[in-house]
Amino acid sequence: MIVAERKPFEEIKAMIESCKKVLIVGCGECVSVCMAGGEKEVQILASQLRLAFEEEGKKLEAGETTLERQCDKEYLEEIKDKVNDYDAVISMACGAGVQFLAEMYDSKLVYPALNTQFIGVAEREGEWSERCRACGDCVLADTGGICPVAICPKGLLNGPCGGTNDGKCELSKEKDCAWTLIYNRLDKLGKLDNIRKIFPAKKYSVQTTPGRRIHEAFKEKE
Amino acid sequence: MAKAFKEALESGKFVITAEVGPPKGVDIEEMKHHIELLKDKVDGLNVTDNQSSVMRISTLPVCQLIREAGGEPILQMTCRDKNRLALQSELLGAYILGITNVLSLTGDYVTVGDHVDAKPVFDLDSVLLLETIKGLEEGKDFAGNELTGEGRPTFCKGAIVTPEANPIEPQLLKFEKKIKAGAEFIQTQAIYDLDNFKKFMEYARQFEVKIMAGIVLLVSAGMAKYMNANVPGIFVPKDLIDEMASAEKGKALAKGIEIAGRMIKTLKDENICDGVHVMAIGKEGKVPDILAAAGLA
Amino acid sequence: MEGECHFLEGNKRAKMWVDYTKGLLEESGIAPDRLKMFNLSSSMAPRFKEVVEEMTEVAKKLGPTKIEKKAA
Repeated sequence: MIVAERKPFEEIKAMIESCKKVLIVGCGECVSVCMAGGEKEVQILASQLRLAFEEEGKKLEAGETTLERQCDKEYLEEIKDKVNDYDAVISMACGAGVQFLAEMYDSKLVYPALNTQFIGVAEREGEWSERCRACGDCVLADTGGICPVAICPKGLLNGPCGGTNDGKCELSKEKDCAWTLIYNRLDKLGKLDNIRKIFPAKKYSVQTTPGRRIHEAFKEKE
Repeated sequence: MAKAFKEALESGKFVITAEVGPPKGVDIEEMKHHIELLKDKVDGLNVTDNQSSVMRISTLPVCQLIREAGGEPILQMTCRDKNRLALQSELLGAYILGITNVLSLTGDYVTVGDHVDAKPVFDLDSVLLLETIKGLEEGKDFAGNELTGEGRPTFCKGAIVTPEANPIEPQLLKFEKKIKAGAEFIQTQAIYDLDNFKKFMEYARQFEVKIMAGIVLLVSAGMAKYMNANVPGIFVPKDLIDEMASAEKGKALAKGIEIAGRMIKTLKDENICDGVHVMAIGKEGKVPDILAAAGLA
Repeated sequence: MEGECHFLEGNKRAKMWVDYTKGLLEESGIAPDRLKMFNLSSSMAPRFKEVVEEMTEVAKKLGPTKIEKKAA
């Protein structure tokens, strides 16, 4: 899933300081699961903003709604009639959702409430970790299902740097050394030969920016 | 004029290199002094590349200063700040200036330095950088395009290894890749435990590569303890820490010089490795004393 | 009492969320002291009285917020 965290409250409040009516739009996908921008977080943010405005002697009407997801037009259209009643929209989706919402309602001020962080997994309740950098050139087949691009801060393809620290990363004892993990996994699988070869440099050309993909079936036939 | 580093390596003599750290700023008097002091006493002078991710004068002009002074520079090149285009153009630029010794390094991560918000590059890694150099020597750039005109650059290619890394197996796997990718010499991370290092050398001797042991000058028992606790891949055994601690007040540095000299002498006399790389971080002026203590001056 | 919940971990989790919510209140400009969690059982009437009195004191000391009363 895409993991995000809410921006500091002060930053969000400053964005809408001059607004009287804002619509806070949550997203029911990844950011709901990672407890950053789902229905509950929409309620919390709306309540906080109302309280903070009132404490300053101002009024804020904060509308709340949470869509199935914000990365599909059909769901974004559901707020078509509501949006016009508000001065601005706060999207609690990932950066993709914010942009798609802003694109559809391009005459409305749209503000992001989250900082989008990474593609990751739920380690346990309330804790997520990064697993994929979306590099477009997957090497997991050779590395025992452990990604050196995402797990190693330097994204090293040919083994660890000199900073391996008892199997942890020199940057933090909280981080595992990707190459220690990879080595141990492949050792267990009897596949160490996988990483004896020199891996070629990443092909950054496959990361077309901005990325775009058309499903084979949908490509126009010549 | 110092002899070419490559010649020294191939001559089979016990090779000695030291290090010059470019300053952060344009006052280069102290650095020039160190270059003068060291250039004729060593076979090569490494020039560090934004060491510890701290912004300083770039390596290439400092290498040029060393050449002008009659020394033999070793250009350290990290993959942290330059992508494959910048690395290659710097290599070609170095070659036309006569700077042909290159040490390939991954580079420390950006956040350990003084520009923590900089974008880390790491387009290539130390193994791929060695392959890149090999490619240029064969007349082709990284993308496979032919270099134009007459002549091909040649380099003396180096890399590093951390013999005390834990775990060691993945480190050795990378070490072997570096040799496969063309490393002719290896300078190690600081070593202090000679028994451990001998074991490493028993393994490393199977490869055709010159190994230079990293010698970092101890200046106090506290420094040794600090490195043990905070620098991955460095292990100072207890007897050396005790020896440093036993030094009289004000004599710790002299003790450190004595220890470094003794280690170098043992490495040479017992023919354990092919040379040493002496790092006297912040105390570059003491390198001649260390060499004298080793009986090499 | 803390850790002794009919719902096993329930009151530990409640404590975690109460702590978190105090932070939310502070961000919103509301004194976090207005919220506090106490552990007590249904048979502890005197303790309950104490708790109510304690929180009443807190509320008196802090005075009213600027937030308008709304009909429930």
